[in-house]
Amino acid sequence: MSPEAALHSDVFLTYLAILLGLLAVAGGVIGVLGLLGKDVGHTWRAYRGWLVMIPLVLACVFLGRLATVAFFTLVAIVGFKEFARATGLYRDWWMTGVVYAGILGSGVFSAMTDPVLDRPGWYGMFVVWPAFVITLILLVPILRNRSEGQLQAIALALLGFLYIGWMFGHVGFLANSKDAYGYLFYLIFAVEVNDVAAFTFGRTFGRHPLRSNISPKKTWEGSLGALAVSMVLPWLLWKLSFPHFTPRELILSGLIVGVGGQLGDLAMSVIKRDLGIKDMGALIGGHGGILDRIDSLICVAPLWLNMARYFHEFY
Amino acid sequence: MEPWHYDTAEDIEASLVERLRRFPREPDILVYSARLAAAAILRAWLKVYHRLRIVGRENLPREGSFVLVANHASHLDALSILAALPMGSLHRVFPAAAKDFFFVSPPRTAVAAVVVNALPFDRETNIRQSLNLCRQLLDNPGNVLLIFPEGTRSMTGRLGDFKPGVGLLLAGVDLPVVPCYVAGAFEAWPKAKRFPRPRRVRLLIGEPRRYAELKRGKEAALAICHDLRDAIVALGEHAGRR
Repeated sequence: MSPEAALHSDVFLTYLAILLGLLAVAGGVIGVLGLLGKDVGHTWRAYRGWLVMIPLVLACVFLGRLATVAFFTLVAIVGFKEFARATGLYRDWWMTGVVYAGILGSGVFSAMTDPVLDRPGWYGMFVVWPAFVITLILLVPILRNRSEGQLQAIALALLGFLYIGWMFGHVGFLANSKDAYGYLFYLIFAVEVNDVAAFTFGRTFGRHPLRSNISPKKTWEGSLGALAVSMVLPWLLWKLSFPHFTPRELILSGLIVGVGGQLGDLAMSVIKRDLGIKDMGALIGGHGGILDRIDSLICVAPLWLNMARYFHEFY
Repeated sequence: MEPWHYDTAEDIEASLVERLRRFPREPDILVYSARLAAAAILRAWLKVYHRLRIVGRENLPREGSFVLVANHASHLDALSILAALPMGSLHRVFPAAAKDFFFVSPPRTAVAAVVVNALPFDRETNIRQSLNLCRQLLDNPGNVLLIFPEGTRSMTGRLGDFKPGVGLLLAGVDLPVVPCYVAGAFEAWPKAKRFPRPRRVRLLIGEPRRYAELKRGKEAALAICHDLRDAIVALGEHAGRR
């Protein structure tokens, strides 16, 4: 991955055209609806968020491997910060400090060269890194000689690091693959399409609540519609993103994105519901916090990366 | 099993800029780290570019809350005074800064809140409320408040009249009040200039005073203003002689 490689990559250029085309079409539709007198206030705010996020991701991927890893590490750091602020863990500087260091560590192992196998990204260390961070987190109350309330702090720090830091960190690790453009763009695009499909199907056909105590607006219709779309999408992007995949991997891709994406979404809803908040923050106008945007990617990223890595040469 | 108690940040629904504009701000480890990094750079800058010298550091109280009062002719004033305080205490030092100047645009807000840790002081419509904010701040042991009683940067470099607010705030408050004089900051970076020039800056820190026995009221306020102004003028003369 490099600016030069991106300019010569059909995969990068095609995704660039698809994404910018979608942005342009969506902008046009919203503009026309607005002119027709429809209330597009909320949609417009959400669109403005996309108008920043899509070019930002494109720019980082264009710049190359290190920029991509750095970008997703930063996203994880900001995401964990939102989680810490929402749960109250942010008052515990030792715990949050260790988690920040842990996330930074994941980023460094994603970015560095494997010292043994001499290839980009030290995957072995990246995978065992949680063992070190968990130990460090457990060490915090011991070093401070404290016990009261520490189980809660430990549990929150573990969830924060493992879920938001390390699992999400797999998105950045995809930049180390020889098929980085195809993998990265497919994963991000498919997860967002899955989100949009769930919303659209739910809005149009939604009757039966999916999990009424967790996210009252989500419906079975929306969820199954999104799964159907996600099952079809890998076939459409087959030749573009991963021509070496067999139908088996295409089906697995659809399942991982269709089910995992919605699981991630619901898992974040459980957290928000228990905390009694609507959004995890207000960083991205019209979308809420950064965690509200990336929640569906978190479960999908490690599952999909390891699926692709298991069946095919990654480097 | 008892349910866990979560303590969600109060400003969870506020955007980044709104969060920085609020006061008191929620503690933020990333902001604190950025502030320490900025402080290290600014201290080096003041030392090298302005050859900052600090006289009377021993007059600063070692613990507990206190108030710093200084002349104001340049942005360098607050930065020089902050440079005299220990790095570890910076997150508890709050320079009162004009809300209508420092907390308007997002970049200025970011600098004021992150680098300077400023308290947004509304000098136009809500002076009473702002003074209350200062009072609450000082109720919390360990907090330090930095005030420029002239209320704005002097255009000439000469010490202007003191606004009565500082007197109203300090009357009857049992805390040390430390007068400071920043010399050379006006020559280095006056209000009219965009960028600072490499001039020498000196900070003189006077002996702490206390106004605990004064009854709150207009008279006491005026007396405090006079006393502090005289103290700062004396420090200024001292600086001029050297």
